[in-house]
Amino acid sequence: MGMRQVLTLLSIIGGMLLLTGIAAYSQGDIRFVKDSAFDDPMRPPVKFHHDAHNQKAGITECNVCHHMYEDGEKLEYEASIGMECSQCHLSQNDNSKMDLIRAYHLQCRGCHLKESAGPVLCGECHQKTDQ
Amino acid sequence: MHAIYEIISGPMVWLAFGIFILGSLYRLFSMGRLALKKDAVVFSYMSIYYALRSIVHWIVPFASVNMRKHPVMTLVAFVFHICLFVVPIFLFAHIIMIHEAWQINWVYIPNLAADVMTLAVIGACIFFFCRRLILPEVRYLTTYSDFLILAGVAAPFITGFWSFHQYPGHVAAGILHILSGEIILVMIPFTRLSHMLFFPFTRGYAGSEFGGVRNAKDW
Repeated sequence: MGMRQVLTLLSIIGGMLLLTGIAAYSQGDIRFVKDSAFDDPMRPPVKFHHDAHNQKAGITECNVCHHMYEDGEKLEYEASIGMECSQCHLSQNDNSKMDLIRAYHLQCRGCHLKESAGPVLCGECHQKTDQ
Repeated sequence: MHAIYEIISGPMVWLAFGIFILGSLYRLFSMGRLALKKDAVVFSYMSIYYALRSIVHWIVPFASVNMRKHPVMTLVAFVFHICLFVVPIFLFAHIIMIHEAWQINWVYIPNLAADVMTLAVIGACIFFFCRRLILPEVRYLTTYSDFLILAGVAAPFITGFWSFHQYPGHVAAGILHILSGEIILVMIPFTRLSHMLFFPFTRGYAGSEFGGVRNAKDW
């Protein structure tokens, strides 16, 4: 095996590792729903596997969850990917953490209740990890 | 599971609170009517001043001779009643649900405080249970319904603790938690738990008769 072939092989392996790394850090493997606004949470964060969830729920459109609103109207062709919910749901002056929690709960639990599928009780989502 | 959850966390909550509130009003009015028919003197003797004097005196721990004679019972009873009301009303998990429904909220206690107070309620229920079995003068007045009522009061606290700490079967415990809370609300007007409604009147009448008629103190 010549130097060139070794380099080629190494770069292929390196490229594969890099892609794996990107995939691991992409939303494909989101482990928890986290928001920087929750600095002192009352409950453990929610375990969430983005791709597995959407496959199970049959969600193909990003903005089913990553929605964007303008003047109280949902924008059909816009999405809020990469944004934390708190960026909008804590942005108004009269918003509180309670309102942010409410937004999260209505988004997840509200849909689960509407679809009669998925967890709805507190402990079903906010799982203690020390057990 | 979803169907059961939707029913017990939706219409049944309204039903339970409806029966609790309307049933309480009915019991208060019918008891008032009965008193008017059988013992009308109760109304003429009733004095706001002596009633309040007695009520205030009896809600201060160890203010009365009887309380000082039974220090353990007094301590347990006060801790029990305070925790019984503070936990459900000021629990974060409850307040967040109120906020989701109506966008109103109030101050909440830390989870650790709720844990300690929940265990205090459960412990007090065990204490009352043993007391009813052991003390002859209490045993004499005890019926099976008293044990049922004790179990009913403890149930929402046991299931709530179980659900919060996610012990095995915590989803079922969560369902039972909601159900047992509804059951206890419905029980209040129609069982011995109605002392929650009647205590101002019974205590108030005793205070009025002692203060206004006998010129004495009822403690």
